[in-house]
Amino acid sequence: MTAVVAALARRSIRQTFRRPQFIAPILLMPTLFLAVNTGGADSATTLPGFPDVAGFLDFELAGAMMQAAMLAGVSGGIALAIDIEIGFTDRLLAAPIARPAIVLGRLGATAAMGLLLTAWFLALGFVFGAQVQAGAAGVLLIAVLVPLAALAFGSVGTALALWAGRASVVQGIFPLVFVVVFLSSAFFPRELLSEPAASVADYNPMSFIAEAVRDPIIGGITATETMKGLLGIAIVAAIGSVLSSFALRHRLRSA
Amino acid sequence: MAAIEVDNLQRRFGDEVYAVQGIDLHVDEGEIYAFLGPNGAGKTTTVRMLTTLLRPTAGTARVAGYDVVHDASDVRRAIGVALQEAALDPLMTGRELMRLSAVLHGIRGKESRDRADDLLARVGLTGAADRRIGTYSGGMRRRLDLGTALVHEPRVLFLDEPTTGLDPVSRASIWDEVRKLNDEGTTVFLTTQYLEEADQLADRVGIIAGGRMAAEGTPASLKAEVGVPRLEVAIARGDIAAAEEVLGRHGELLPTRAGTVMITLPGGASEVAGIVRALDDAGLPVESLDVVQPTLDDVFVVKTGRSLEGDGAGEVAPAAPA
Amino acid sequence: MTQSIAVTGALMRRALNEVVRVPGAAVPGVIAPTIFLLGLTAAFGKLTEVRGFGGPDDYISFLAPVTLLQCAGFTGAATGVNLARDIEQGWFDRLLVAPTPRVVLLGGVVLSAALRVLMPVAFLLTMGFVFGLNFPGFDGMLLIVVLVPAYAIVAACWGASIALRFRTQAAGPLIQSVMFMFILFTASYAPLDLLAPWLEAVARVNPVNQVIEALRAGFVADVTWEETWPGLVTVTGMTLFFGALALRGIQRTGR
Repeated sequence: MTAVVAALARRSIRQTFRRPQFIAPILLMPTLFLAVNTGGADSATTLPGFPDVAGFLDFELAGAMMQAAMLAGVSGGIALAIDIEIGFTDRLLAAPIARPAIVLGRLGATAAMGLLLTAWFLALGFVFGAQVQAGAAGVLLIAVLVPLAALAFGSVGTALALWAGRASVVQGIFPLVFVVVFLSSAFFPRELLSEPAASVADYNPMSFIAEAVRDPIIGGITATETMKGLLGIAIVAAIGSVLSSFALRHRLRSA
Repeated sequence: MAAIEVDNLQRRFGDEVYAVQGIDLHVDEGEIYAFLGPNGAGKTTTVRMLTTLLRPTAGTARVAGYDVVHDASDVRRAIGVALQEAALDPLMTGRELMRLSAVLHGIRGKESRDRADDLLARVGLTGAADRRIGTYSGGMRRRLDLGTALVHEPRVLFLDEPTTGLDPVSRASIWDEVRKLNDEGTTVFLTTQYLEEADQLADRVGIIAGGRMAAEGTPASLKAEVGVPRLEVAIARGDIAAAEEVLGRHGELLPTRAGTVMITLPGGASEVAGIVRALDDAGLPVESLDVVQPTLDDVFVVKTGRSLEGDGAGEVAPAAPA
Repeated sequence: MTQSIAVTGALMRRALNEVVRVPGAAVPGVIAPTIFLLGLTAAFGKLTEVRGFGGPDDYISFLAPVTLLQCAGFTGAATGVNLARDIEQGWFDRLLVAPTPRVVLLGGVVLSAALRVLMPVAFLLTMGFVFGLNFPGFDGMLLIVVLVPAYAIVAACWGASIALRFRTQAAGPLIQSVMFMFILFTASYAPLDLLAPWLEAVARVNPVNQVIEALRAGFVADVTWEETWPGLVTVTGMTLFFGALALRGIQRTGR
């Protein structure tokens, strides 16, 4: 199965990087948002209760990476939905390969995208003066957490694709990405959010993940934040996996 | 006045791709002209230039008396176009598309409604007129496409591969419609990769290959240019050698499969009766005989060195020489 | 003249089909700006407490003009992407071979955006009022009805010029990101003085900032002619500029 997953992952990665309309929303939009958020809300660091940061960019980087990771997950779902629409998935289902390989191959591209966006935003941050306070260990931790988060979001995108079978439906989810991100501490400290966002953010796995990624940038690595981040990733991945499994079974039954 | 007059028409894409390398052609008013060639020969590029969608990089073309570059609006008023790749909006109904086409050509109000109804009836889509085009079959879409091209009663109708992908029944119905239009005076310029279509419909045929004109003429004259009919005879009983001796007096012997004799038939099918009598007199009764006419594919092979039908690549033995 | 109006009307009707006849197709475009309004308010609402913010206590009223222009930006971008799809799929050839002047064809395509934008605007204002958005007064509403559809035409002209240049839906991100920058690289999140220096510099030269300030007047104070006329002039100028770009694009089609 490893060879099959690798082959399908290679295909998915090639596909992703050959279609600018797929990469651009994942990197371009969060980058523009990062620029606007940083430029527009720069004065927020003077608010009482705002964490002690070198600059608002340091605070905001995690949010940009989370937004991009989520978009990467949805884009993976769109690509899978296109495969279903054009019949490529049927071709795989008729082949003697393990069913999970079909999904895992697609998620391989999402993980690769997660690594790319991590490198992109860290590089961008460094160019514009951000610092990772936890040093190389912090960079390493971020390089693990963000791709894992992308994978977890990818499992939700996969579930949606398997259920809907149409790219246009999966694409319609894009606004919800922003809802999840806004109702978390990805862009602003939890203590300074307005209601009802503040209450929702307390339970939103996105908050845990964003704070775990932010931790090494603005402070040091703390076990609690890291564990909470991993828990958030696990929650999303669990939801995505269960839904994917149901959706795949439903698709196979109705094929 | 010529319906279409083309002089050294060229189209280059970028610095290296010459899709059309200087073609000349002439289509009289009231003709059906078939533009024949394989995929990639330059047919669609030529049609796009003649219908003002693409600007020639060199040469001139006049359609209905108007220059395609300098009098493009006049050309558009005089032509109807059904392109190979022209999409139909699946969210519109057939009637809505027909009415939109009417409006685009300056026909409005009640007149556009009446014209839409007439054309929908003409192409046999009255029953489906208020259904979304997304529910139409391939044949229905082509008929609708043809109908929209006729909404303003064009003088020259361009059809780019009008029956590609259609079943035989749908194809025949499109052919009937083309003939009817031509009977009513419309000049038809159609591109096709189907020999039978060119043979059946066209008054004259132009053959394009590799962006250049390879030949032009009536189907009969083109075929006569490259070959004469052949007669293939199977003898019911008797000596093949004896049959060859008899038949050899009426035409040139040609290689053929075992058990049959093939000769050229310079005089055409009218010689057949005499040949049969000669064989009979020689005690060689005929089991079967076939008069084989040269085909447009034979023409294509002679003019371009490759066959148009089947896979097409490589050399193919041409028809018997004239 | 009546022929041109008839063609424009017919093309506008066709453009509305997708919104009316495809269930759910309009939903993402309609709700996205509202998500931004409510989400950004929830995330950055406390910015009003920064010293020197001035303006209203409710951030939602400060932000509303930005998201109203986002309605226009999204709608216009969608118009461009739809045109790119029509070009890619050959539908546009059908229009080009008709004897209708190209400027009329273009008009039919872009003017539809001015109508389509009313849906997200209505939804945004309704939801905004529910969540505490100030009513901008009759003159403020009049400004919205004039400036937002006009900006939708600007965005549609931009989208059309890109569609005509690149002839592929893959150019969608380019259309969207430029509109994004025009709208958000302004005094979108905070007054000019509180922006990061680079964003303040950009916002001061960004013409769209004038449109935002004109729209904002009704929400945060009173509409005055001094604050309105720059916005009107800007929108007129941008319409002429991007309209000329799009017209040049359609007239050069086929070269």
